[in-house]
Amino acid sequence: MKPNLRYWLGAPAFLILLLIPWFFQSTFVLHMHTLIFFYIALTAVWNIPAFGGKLSLGHAAFFGIGAYTATILYVKYGITPWLGLLAALVVSMLGGLVMTLPLIRLRGPFFTLASIAFAEVLRMIAIDWRSLTNGSVGINIPFKPAWINMTFQGGKPFYYMSLILAVGIVWLTYRLKNSALGFHLRAAASDEEAAQALGINTSRAHFIALMWSSGLTGAIGVFYVFYIYVLEPHTIFSLDLFSLQPALNGIIGGMGTISGPVIGAILMTPLGEFLRFYLGTIQQGLNYVVYGLVLIATVKFIPGGIVSLLTPIIKRTPGRKKIPLSGQVEAR
Amino acid sequence: MDLYIQVLVSGLLLGGVYALISVGLNLIFGVVRIINFAHGEMVMIAMYLTFWLHHFSKLDPYVSAIVIMPVMFIFGIVFQRIVVQPILATSATMKIFATVGVSLLLQNLALIAWKGDFRTVQTSYSMSSLEVFDIIVSIPRLVAFSAALLSIIVLYYFLKYTYVGKALRAIVEDHAVARLMGVNVEKHYILAFGMGTMFTALGGVLLMPFSSVYPTVGVTFTLLAFVVVVLGGLGSMSGTFFAGLFIGVVESIGGTFVSPALKEAIYFAIFVLVLLVRPQGLFGKGKGSEEVGLK
Repeated sequence: MKPNLRYWLGAPAFLILLLIPWFFQSTFVLHMHTLIFFYIALTAVWNIPAFGGKLSLGHAAFFGIGAYTATILYVKYGITPWLGLLAALVVSMLGGLVMTLPLIRLRGPFFTLASIAFAEVLRMIAIDWRSLTNGSVGINIPFKPAWINMTFQGGKPFYYMSLILAVGIVWLTYRLKNSALGFHLRAAASDEEAAQALGINTSRAHFIALMWSSGLTGAIGVFYVFYIYVLEPHTIFSLDLFSLQPALNGIIGGMGTISGPVIGAILMTPLGEFLRFYLGTIQQGLNYVVYGLVLIATVKFIPGGIVSLLTPIIKRTPGRKKIPLSGQVEAR
Repeated sequence: MDLYIQVLVSGLLLGGVYALISVGLNLIFGVVRIINFAHGEMVMIAMYLTFWLHHFSKLDPYVSAIVIMPVMFIFGIVFQRIVVQPILATSATMKIFATVGVSLLLQNLALIAWKGDFRTVQTSYSMSSLEVFDIIVSIPRLVAFSAALLSIIVLYYFLKYTYVGKALRAIVEDHAVARLMGVNVEKHYILAFGMGTMFTALGGVLLMPFSSVYPTVGVTFTLLAFVVVVLGGLGSMSGTFFAGLFIGVVESIGGTFVSPALKEAIYFAIFVLVLLVRPQGLFGKGKGSEEVGLK
């Protein structure tokens, strides 16, 4: 997309989004938008290690660490969630460090498998460590509306907060992708050995990407948990909601691209909510059947995601070839 | 002291079944070189089939294996033809997603069809046990172990001495060269998938008399099977067998002396440790393992 086109499309869209809460009073509209913004942010940060071909299915781990840190600080020690947000960022980065240091050398599928295991371990800890986490019952956040408590009457403040979060994080991933780090990651994704031969410290690049990703995922977790008031280990460390969903959005939109996560989240979040509320009430699990089918179909028919369908239409600038992503473990 | 031997014995018996499930994965993973995230779901399906056959026709779980094994062989072939074959040429990431999709699909189809209840098969021998030198050996676990051991031995000799077995081993080592030697690689992919699924399913059947089945039971088995295969080494059946026993014992010790909830943590630790210290596994063939990320 050419910069001016991006500007002409982006600015009005942003303005419309700013005005939406003043025209639609329905809580459903606000809630749906807020959820979409959350998932845009979550998918975009999930996508940062994916620039380098590292596919995590364990991001619920960082999401949960962040959410738990801020909630425990607030409910048990009365520390404002805004400070908790910083703490969550740091603690989930530490979590990322614990996961990344041993796993950094694992490639492709093994990294993915280990990341799932990591999230499962954390969920077990959250359930088992009752004195700190209140076990599988979870923690309720008391409803005391005030800015300092990050708790609000009505959905507008969270609408704007999540909008800013989404825009900020997408902008950040854009900057990251076009920084030296981004180029290192993309080089590592297309050929790890070749990148190393050119003097790129690929492990370092993967490491930094995962640090960004884990820390920011924890921060998004804080906003999410203060939005829904309830912290419960089975939901917050859920493989389906916070590990698989961002990955699903990313792959359907287009992994390793900037607009992919945005498109994926915009399409999949309403679909997911619709399926959960309509099909899910008819028959529990039916929504995930649809998800599974969508996933298989995407891999089979549009492996580059929806972005790969749109790029030939939008991008007419010749000479800029798309760098293939995650070709490092190509099967012969 | 008796407690320690008791824990060791029950760990070994359980480990036998783990080894069988992982042998199925090793065959699929080694030959077709695909990370099948839906592997545990095959165990799940086999367990449900056992349950329903028992429920409706009062078929003994062990007898039902005669029906379930061919059914799952065909299931494996269909799975390979419909899902795996078309995506063989794509990147490893794409393969992950396709099989994660299948896993999601199967789990939730099971949830829709059979609800989330824990289901167990009640047989006359479910609770029976032997007592040898004060050590209590549960009969269904002993049967499961023996049957698993026997199947692994059969598979081992099949791979070692038959023509098809040799072709499969050749593909594990280098499929390009195997093709040059006149092996029909695609046909053996299908065969390996069918056989792998069949042995995995047998593992599920053997587990049924002493454990319960629910839609998400497979998640743990997927993780477990990969840990065992990585530990034992890609392409090594004996390695997988001993690794399975080892994991069974470790799980049994951890479950008794620390906390049963730590099962996944133990898997995770072993998995990471092996991949870092000895990526080719304890008995691994080594060669070609980098291409699937085993490095």
